[in-house]
Amino acid sequence: MIIVKDLHKTFEDNHVLQGVNYHIHPGEKIVVVGPSGSGKSTFLRCLNLLEMPTSGEIWFDGQLITDPKVDIDKVRRHMGMVFQNFNLFNNHTIMDNITLAPVKLKLMSREEACENALKLLDRVGLKEKADAYPSQLSGGQKQRIAIVRSLAMSPKVMLFDEPTSALDPEMVGEVLEVMKELAETGMTMVVVTHEMGFAREVGTKVLFMDDGNIMEENTPQEFFNNPKSPRLQDFLSKVL
Amino acid sequence: MQEWFESVGKKFVMAFVEGDRWKLYIKGLGVTLEIALFAAIIGLLIGTVVALMRLSTKRDGKKTIWARIAGVYIDVIRGTPSVLQLLIMWFVIMKNCHNGILVAVLSFGINSGAYVSEIVRAGILAVDKGQTEAGRSLGLSKAQTMLYIVIPQAIKNVLPPIGNEFIVLLKETAIVGYVSLTDLTRAANQITSRTYEAFMPLIGAAVIYFTIIKILTILLERLERRLRKSDNR
Repeated sequence: MIIVKDLHKTFEDNHVLQGVNYHIHPGEKIVVVGPSGSGKSTFLRCLNLLEMPTSGEIWFDGQLITDPKVDIDKVRRHMGMVFQNFNLFNNHTIMDNITLAPVKLKLMSREEACENALKLLDRVGLKEKADAYPSQLSGGQKQRIAIVRSLAMSPKVMLFDEPTSALDPEMVGEVLEVMKELAETGMTMVVVTHEMGFAREVGTKVLFMDDGNIMEENTPQEFFNNPKSPRLQDFLSKVL
Repeated sequence: MQEWFESVGKKFVMAFVEGDRWKLYIKGLGVTLEIALFAAIIGLLIGTVVALMRLSTKRDGKKTIWARIAGVYIDVIRGTPSVLQLLIMWFVIMKNCHNGILVAVLSFGINSGAYVSEIVRAGILAVDKGQTEAGRSLGLSKAQTMLYIVIPQAIKNVLPPIGNEFIVLLKETAIVGYVSLTDLTRAANQITSRTYEAFMPLIGAAVIYFTIIKILTILLERLERRLRKSDNR
């Protein structure tokens, strides 16, 4: 579904991604872990070109999306993204947050979009918040809405950039629960996170990134029980 | 004491009542307001467009040709006195146009646009980058993200400095006497030279400016408060 070939990204003198290669298959739940500054967020943000790669290729659904001629806005409709800081539109109600993109992009009529939004809100238990503004919600609620907003576009893949890192500890669970349910529906997911429990439970593959490269890749069981590289052993000893 | 009051009263009558002179102030004020209002509208339009031009980037993040043009415009306008711009407009660029008000409106509008554009640019940049990223990640284009998400939030940011710019603009129109328009300041000045009495006309004009601007300030504060409310809903 997503094929990454020799991906490089530099910010001025900082070589953040140093030739990443990876193949994500449909239905996989890829969990990316690693120390801060390892390039895992940049890797994720390159996948939907929020960061323009310096060099390398990204293929999505058989299309080379790093080609400058590709209409990236069209590609992004099929890739949902959830941010660390939620990034709900502060000037819109929850309902408008969810329906804005489908309606403005003429994918749905207003009525269809609203109906769909209410269904999705019901799924995450926030139907009664439809007319609220983001500033009235807790962090956990905001993040659940952010997930719903992405799902309203019926994406083929969902990217999560540390979705629980900005949350108070007691709200982490409710967001992870929604993500778990989403995983069970068969959604292809790429998740950058520090939640090792989630990686172990939901991930089909866990990647360890360090120094702008994928150092180790394995099933969760092997990854956590038999880490091979000393770097990963060291990392796991610190976070577990 | 009584004498003093009598002399003040006489000066007042001379400055405002005799020969229906109060009408001259009103007429002058009309010219001032007309120029300020239309210049403000033009300034707002130019300012918004120029700010968007200045913020435009190519796919690789480099400045576009539009951004450079906008930069030159801002530099030129900010780098020269507005009186000079007005004179150049009147005597050089539009020397065949005999509508002084039109010339003044354009001159002040173009001048104000440079300052407004910097205000708008700052207001747009002050909106969290995450808002743009969220919009783009949903497949909205750059323009759609700007229009539906960033600009509505930027308006709240720019309201206080825009109000300030309008106030500056209103007072700056006092130089249109240079191109033989009779605004409030020039009207007061003319009455001074006719009556050989400077105190009343000049103070009177100052009070009128002050009152207008005070009203403008109150209106802006109200608007700002109303927009802020949506933050705490």
